Amino acid sequence: MRQKKDLLDLAVVTLLALLLSIAGSARADEAANPPGVAVKIDNFTFGPSTLVVARGTTVTWTNGDDIPHTIVATDKSFKSKVLDTDESFSYTFENPGTYPYFCSIHPHMTGEVMVK
Amino acid sequence: MSMASLFDPRTVLLAKHAQHVVLIHFPIALFLAGVTFGLLGTWRKRALLEEVAYYNLLAAAWSTLPALATGLMAWRFQLEGQKLRGLLLLHLILGVASSVTIGLVWWMHRRARLWRRPLPGYRVAVELIGVGLVTLTGHLGGLLSGVNGPG
Repeated sequence: MRQKKDLLDLAVVTLLALLLSIAGSARADEAANPPGVAVKIDNFTFGPSTLVVARGTTVTWTNGDDIPHTIVATDKSFKSKVLDTDESFSYTFENPGTYPYFCSIHPHMTGEVMVK
Repeated sequence: MSMASLFDPRTVLLAKHAQHVVLIHFPIALFLAGVTFGLLGTWRKRALLEEVAYYNLLAAAWSTLPALATGLMAWRFQLEGQKLRGLLLLHLILGVASSVTIGLVWWMHRRARLWRRPLPGYRVAVELIGVGLVTLTGHLGGLLSGVNGPG
């Protein structure tokens, strides 16, 4: 009877340790890969057109239009290829600052990423 | 981003690929007018209308050159010459085909004038193919620029 209780205690402790380690690794992953932010291109506009993100954030633009678009930083720090419908482009912002960008096919389409 | 001014020469000369979007309207309008006047001249047997058609087609053929050049420059500089796909590739192919057809139509009219001969019977077919190509290219251009788009 005593042996059975010890085994049960051991199982509970093991389960708790397992849960704690999973939670810990999830937090570690979160720190290593900060959550990404999505920008949708729809109807010739970037949505949202202005983003405020933390350093190290990856921003992903996805073209929801039937027309090709590009993502080009005004200072040329990042530049996508021509994105057809449902294609995406991602860029990770490592340094603080303001990054205005536009679509080089439709220069009136503009947006801005502010990195804190 | 700096604001562009309509009266600033840099805006006119260097503003992205805006030149192509402006210049492309000249060959389109001149070619469509030239074909219309040409067909009217043949139908009504009016030499003056055929003369008008000839000069419209002449201007159309020459105005394809800056339109083509600025389109190719937009590809080279705005898109850095990257491999085109989809609508952009189709627009390029149709644009070149339209320009060649416009040149061919003008050349047929020129040859008929120089040799004082009537225009060949297949001329109407070539002109209508040209009108179709120009219309399709223009429609794609409108979609690409956003003019014909949902916005």
